[in-house]
Formats: sequence, structure tokens, C-alpha cells
Amino acid sequence: MSTLLDARDLHYRHAPGAPEAVAGASVRVVRGEVVGIIGPNAAGKSTLARLCCGLLTPQAGEVLLQDVPLARLSRRDRARRVAFLPQHQPADLTFTAREVALMGRAPHLGLWSLEGPQDVERAAAALAEADAAPLADRPVAQLSGGERQRVFLARAFAQDAALMVLDEPTASLDLSHQVLLVNALRRRARDGGGAMLVLHDLALAGAACDRLVLMLAGRVLAEGTPAEVLRPEVLSPAYATQVDVVADPFTGQPLVAPRIAR
Amino acid sequence: MSRSATSRALRAVAVLLPVVALALAVGLGSGAGAMSLAAALRGVEPDATVLFRLRIPRVLLAAEVGAALSVAGVALQALLRNPLADPFVFGLSGGAALGTAAVVILSGTAVGAAALTAASFIGLLPVQLAAVAGAMAAALLVFTLGRARGQLEPTRAQLVGVVFNSFASAVVLSVEAVLKPEQTQAVLLWLSGTLGYEAMPLLAGAGVALLVPALVLIALAGRLNLLALGDEGAAALGVDVPRTRFLAFFAASAAVGISVAFTGLVGFVGLVVPHGVRLVTGPDHRVVLPASALGGAAFLVLADALARVLFRGLGAEPPVGAVTAIVGAPLFVALLWSRR
Repeated sequence: MSTLLDARDLHYRHAPGAPEAVAGASVRVVRGEVVGIIGPNAAGKSTLARLCCGLLTPQAGEVLLQDVPLARLSRRDRARRVAFLPQHQPADLTFTAREVALMGRAPHLGLWSLEGPQDVERAAAALAEADAAPLADRPVAQLSGGERQRVFLARAFAQDAALMVLDEPTASLDLSHQVLLVNALRRRARDGGGAMLVLHDLALAGAACDRLVLMLAGRVLAEGTPAEVLRPEVLSPAYATQVDVVADPFTGQPLVAPRIAR
Repeated sequence: MSRSATSRALRAVAVLLPVVALALAVGLGSGAGAMSLAAALRGVEPDATVLFRLRIPRVLLAAEVGAALSVAGVALQALLRNPLADPFVFGLSGGAALGTAAVVILSGTAVGAAALTAASFIGLLPVQLAAVAGAMAAALLVFTLGRARGQLEPTRAQLVGVVFNSFASAVVLSVEAVLKPEQTQAVLLWLSGTLGYEAMPLLAGAGVALLVPALVLIALAGRLNLLALGDEGAAALGVDVPRTRFLAFFAASAAVGISVAFTGLVGFVGLVVPHGVRLVTGPDHRVVLPASALGGAAFLVLADALARVLFRGLGAEPPVGAVTAIVGAPLFVALLWSRR
């Protein structure tokens, strides 16, 4: 039960005849771990994330959630084991932030989908965890992009799944909320959860993750600790760009910078 | 707003039930002729006949159809993620019209007339049945052609519905050219939506038949909320999106089909009532669906009463579908305007 996610040799193409978006990728997340998926555009990161949540079905390979094959889980069971935060959130919702956070309780509700007091409590706690409590009664359509992202983050938190899969969760967040998100994920990991993040910000990836998976053309090109993966000789060919890596003078974490001639 | 969905739904029902009761009272009290309630209850004729054979059945029919069309409107708006979705933009009206036109043409031929006589002999109403069949066939067509990659695609389905409706109205127009004037009149009246006087057992049957799709939709309400997150967002929360769409679409189509069979095409109810209700209750379908059922019942009963009262002096009355459109269109614009 210590393995939250075990995806083995996944293959997926979006349409027959299209090139494989994911071409034999494997990834594991164990309890207590935050794993980052990095790589250039169209490397298959988002597709891999969706395959791991059962939103797409691999044409070959297998996904296990807490040692049970995804195919054997009901949709609700699946949603109780893994929470997914897509890259883009609907902007035109007339639902309030609180109502959206409560939607995260859906996999825990019965036939008529009515929440009990404990669900309301969980949603409120999740809003606080994502620093969205003051937004609770505002319609989501009236929020800024970053505020909206925090509300949907609260929805994912409220789902209470051991594994969280987040696609580009920090893209619209300011620095303080990026830190807040990473801290929340790390806290959940310490409590026995785990997370898999698709990230473009390599410095943040190095700071936030225990392990990084570098993807290129649907395959895993490199995997290891941030110090092992965030090296110029690994990153430069993958991104087809000359990058420099220096150690943060305070924390020693690798900082990645593209070399831009001007 | 932090109240639970259950308590908000109950509160909406508690507020709306008296409104429905009031509407029913108004509906029962207004009509072409004068009627004394006391006399009717004592069995004095013709008041008793007016009350029990005319007013009560008509008001009940209006309530049932108004509720069904509103609930169907809510469901279609949710599953197409389009606030302008209406039971009749979906090709359902076109399908029903084609069914009716087919029956009217058939009744002109010897074989068709014989078949229709046989059908009505065993208690079936050929025009109504053809309308339901036409509406359901159109629903199936929209659902089949509106799919891409195995899923109902909202914009696609809507395009198919709109195109099919135009096609159907062209066919109906062509048919009308060859009909006798009184047949044309019948088709026209039906197309614009009229409330008739049905027998009580039939009304009871329709009520029960409409309860099934209504309950299916209310059970789906929580999942309809999640559809607002997008297909992927809903699926990530454990919703079987294709199955939910399928169930909601056919429950809504059945409700519309049954309504259309009795009244023809009463437009605007499924558009105006849900929008008005949402303004007060917010978007949660667990509250919007029951509230729209009650609001729709009250709306159509009142629209019908208005039709009868306004035109009392003229000795005729407009089809109720015309009244819902005349009242509904400005009301809808006002609703849109009020929340710019």
C-alpha cells in the first residue's frame, strides 16, 4: 500500500495513425513523495498525467493505484484515490467558490448527491488550505485567474485522495501562492499522501520535488533527484537550448537558467 | 449561502408551492364563461361540468406540461453547457411537426385513413403518438449525429438540431401547400401550442409518465452540476460523463415528447422559467430542478389563464404557445438585461 501510483510502460496515441503521445513511459509515486514531470512542449507530460488518472485509457501498459489496476476500479473509487487538477479551469462558472470546493466531495456522496455537515466542513478546510477562504461566497466567474486556480486547488484538496495529479498548477499563481501550494503538497506528503506535478518552471521543480522525471517525445529521458536530472548535459539536449545550472547560494538547490545571447 | 443543498431545495419548494396553489386558483377561476364555485360543488349544471370537465383538466394539463418543459429545459441547458438551449432548439419540435404532418397527409389516403381509424379504435391518439414518435426520432438523430469520438458534443448537437428544425419546417410548409384549408388550420394550431381538455385518467397517466423523467433528472442533478466543470473535470470527480449525458438527454426528450403529444409546441417555457429560477436560487441543479418544475407549472397555468381572460371579449382565444412567447420573449430579455 505504500505505492500510490505505478504506471508501467504506457503507450497512447490520440487518434489512429497519429504519432504516439506517450511511447513507453513508466512512473511511480510512493507515499510521502512529490514527483515532478518536466520536459519540453509536446513531450507527453499532460497525456501521461491523464493516463495516470484514468481520464485516458492507455493502448498498452497498465496503471495501478494503490496496487489495484485502474481498469478494476469504479469511477468513484478511482476519484477517491486520485484527484486531478487540469491545466485550464472553466472561467464562466456562476457557482460560488464554496460550491466548487464542495464539488470535490462528489466521489464521497450517495445517489442524490447531497452533502452532509462533514462534507461542508472538509470543503471549508480545503478552501483555507488553498488560501481561498475569503473568496468562498464569490461566483468563480468574478475571480482573477490566480484566485480561480486556488479555488480549483481547494476542490482538489477537498477530494481527499491520497494521490494528487496536478497539471501546471503554478502557471497562474504568484510567488507566495506557489510557495503555499508546494508547502501544502509537502505537508500532505508527510501525512502519507503523494503528488505528481507537471511543471515548466524548472527552478520550482527542483525546489518542490523529491524526484523529477524528464520526458521527451513520449519517453522518459532521465529520472532521479533534482540534482541528478537538473544538469546542463541532461537538460540542454532535451530542450534543444543551452542551459546553465548554478547552485542556489542559500539552499544549494539547482537553479536553471537558459543562456540567452543579447 | 452556506446552507446545504437540501435545505435550500426545501426552502425553494416551500416558497413556490403557495405560488403554484395561487396560480391554480387563478386558472380555475378564469374562463370564457362565468362559473359559480359554490354551485359547481353542489353539482348544479352547467357549473359542475365547467369545473370538473373543463377547468380542472385544463389547469392540470397546463401544470403538468409547464413543469415538464421547464425541467427538460434545465437539463438541456446543463448538458449542452448553453444557457440558450431550449427543448425546441433541439430538433424536437421539427420532429414532432413532421410526425403530425405525416399523420395529416396519411389521413387523406384510403390506407392511411383505415390505419388511423384502427389506431384510434384501440384508444390510441394517432396525431399525438406521431408527434411523440417524431420528437423521439429527432432526439435520436441529434444524439447520433451530434457525437464525435463517442461523445455528445454540445455545439455539434445544437447545430444538428437547428439544421434539422429548418429542414422540418420547410417540409411542413411544403405539405401545407397541398392540404385543405381546415387541415392547415389544425396543423397550424397544433404547431403554435394549444391546451385542450383531456380526460382525467389520461391526465393522471401523463402525470405519472412525466414523474419518471423528472425523478431521473433530479437524481442526476449533482452530476449535472459537475458537468459545468467540463467533461474532464467531471470525469475526474468520478462522473460517467457519456452515461450522464445519455440519461439526461433522453429523460428530457421523453418529458418534451409527452408534453408535445398533448399540447403541441409550447415554446419559451423551458427557456424563461429556468433562467428566472436561477436568478433567485443560483446555479445548483439540486435546487434549480425542483424549483423549475413548480415555477414552470405556475407559469403555464397563468399564461393559459391570461389567454382566456384577455380574449374573452373577442369570443376566441389565442393558442397558449403564442401567449408564452408574447410574455416569455420580453421577460427573457428583461432577465438578461437585469444581470448585465
